[in-house]
Amino acid sequence: MGAETESSTDSPLAAPVAWTVGLVHRTGFAIRASLGRRDGRVTFAVVWVAYFLAYAVGLDHLGLRGSALTGTAGGRSSAVDIVVVSDPLGLLTRRVAPFQYEPIALVTVGPIEYLFAPVNVAIGLGLAALVGVTLAVSVVAWRGPAACRIGAGAGAAAGIPGLLSGFVCCGPTLLLVIGVQASAGLLAVMQWFLPIAVLGLVATLLWVGSRVDPAAVG
Amino acid sequence: MTYTRRAALAGFAALGAVGVAGCLGGGRDSFGDSDAARDGESDADGGESVAGDPNGPPTVETAYHVPYEFETLVAESLDGGVGKDGIPSVEEPSYRPISEVTYAERLPVFGVEHGGDARAYPQHILSHHEIVNDEIDGEPVSVTYCPLTGTAQGFRRGDTSFGVSGRLVNSNLIMYDRGTESWWPQMLATAIDGPMTGATLDEFRVVWTTAEAWAARHPDSLVMTDDTGFLRRYENDPYGSYAPLGGYYAQDRTMFPALAPRKEGHAKSVVIGARTGRGAVAFDKQTLLDDRVLTGTVGESGERVVAVADTGLSTGYVYRNPDDLTVESDGNGYRIGGESDGFAADGLPLDSVLAFDAMWFAWAGFYPDTAFVGEHTGAGYGR
Repeated sequence: MGAETESSTDSPLAAPVAWTVGLVHRTGFAIRASLGRRDGRVTFAVVWVAYFLAYAVGLDHLGLRGSALTGTAGGRSSAVDIVVVSDPLGLLTRRVAPFQYEPIALVTVGPIEYLFAPVNVAIGLGLAALVGVTLAVSVVAWRGPAACRIGAGAGAAAGIPGLLSGFVCCGPTLLLVIGVQASAGLLAVMQWFLPIAVLGLVATLLWVGSRVDPAAVG
Repeated sequence: MTYTRRAALAGFAALGAVGVAGCLGGGRDSFGDSDAARDGESDADGGESVAGDPNGPPTVETAYHVPYEFETLVAESLDGGVGKDGIPSVEEPSYRPISEVTYAERLPVFGVEHGGDARAYPQHILSHHEIVNDEIDGEPVSVTYCPLTGTAQGFRRGDTSFGVSGRLVNSNLIMYDRGTESWWPQMLATAIDGPMTGATLDEFRVVWTTAEAWAARHPDSLVMTDDTGFLRRYENDPYGSYAPLGGYYAQDRTMFPALAPRKEGHAKSVVIGARTGRGAVAFDKQTLLDDRVLTGTVGESGERVVAVADTGLSTGYVYRNPDDLTVESDGNGYRIGGESDGFAADGLPLDSVLAFDAMWFAWAGFYPDTAFVGEHTGAGYGR
């Protein structure tokens, strides 16, 4: 297998800058190469959309309308409805929880409700892109065994930090679902899930990218 | 800060005396409980009291029983994960006639009646805001709700307002007042930190009932709408469901550790809890609704109390009963000491003690020395 590349011979201890530049270069190359393939693009697109939707559900911004009202007290009886707060600019940066911001619009389509929070849309799309790229590179690596020397399990491993990032949205309600009682320490850690997840995703991406032979991918 | 201690008042008021203040033969509004306490008529507790603060909310002279050091309660408080005002209180609630709304069956609302002004606050809206800073009959008040302890309580707020601190103790909402930034655990109604530490809020009764029951009792009532100034998926309770009962509200486990473990009983069974300056007592709500009259004592103080059910609203009221008078159901009302005047459940000619619904684990956590009356039942009530 032609996994060893020229830059990989640099030692991170002997030449850390050169090693890092080489790593980023190889990762960038791997990303471009992966997204240049159809299977890579499909993986990215599917994961990007799916992760963003899962993130919105996790935030409780997306879901089926509840059943508190059997009438029209909420004033939203039509099939499609959009309600915007009276002061969207004043509210859109209002922090609700760590990395969670105020919704400024509610979109109702039949039984489906979506709360539009611009800052969380940006965060969600960014996270989804990061997870999508990581998995796209992994899928390409997995489908092209000559391209690298990483196992098929790397693709699944790459998604773990992405899933971790989803935990931050739910806070203690997540603990309710999984049946774990909150403690001060656990709650403190949970507030850092999102930055930890982002760092984990970037590290995973660099790791996956470092193990792909750009020449073989191309 | 100035601490003052008030001497104990001697004895309970006699039946005839309290009858004057107790709206003989009729009902009393939600604020009726607190009026007597403010006037010092109903208190025989002699609890330690703390002077108020002109920038803070109104307080009462007599403190409620709090069986913990305030420092302990602060140390046991947890960051709930949302930050200060992360759960936004509602500052300008809007209303519509309750007769115009059709709610799901058994949907909980929190009812308040004062000066002929009846209002209902739907639980599914307050689970997203927890505090409504409102005015009822021209009086500034806060109607508050903690989803994790199942408690709905009302407080006079004066010229300030309350917000959600983002912290919890014993799973209970810790409010803060915007005038002094003091911390007020809702169930204790007592400041545990800040300039007003030790002070006791001026509380009034909030009735946990259902939309259809409140509308039947108060057909001219207003009901708060979801036009709160914020957007939420109001019809989705993040913790579970009351109609039908599900999620957190039905589980025997809690999300946060309780201050003290309960010896028995389902964590989410509902009690009608009352506390005085000398102790606390909890009446199992389902038992009370079944039996209609329960008697007990406040903690270990020997202070005799009686609870009666309002089956129409599926709620209960607690009264001091120092003379151990016989209270019996009589049709839809009650007779006392053999007299057949047919008093309404909220209008017995006895000295009322403010009471409210609470999840049993939360009550037992805050008041490990509480008395308990009735049978331990399952989660919720009325099923």
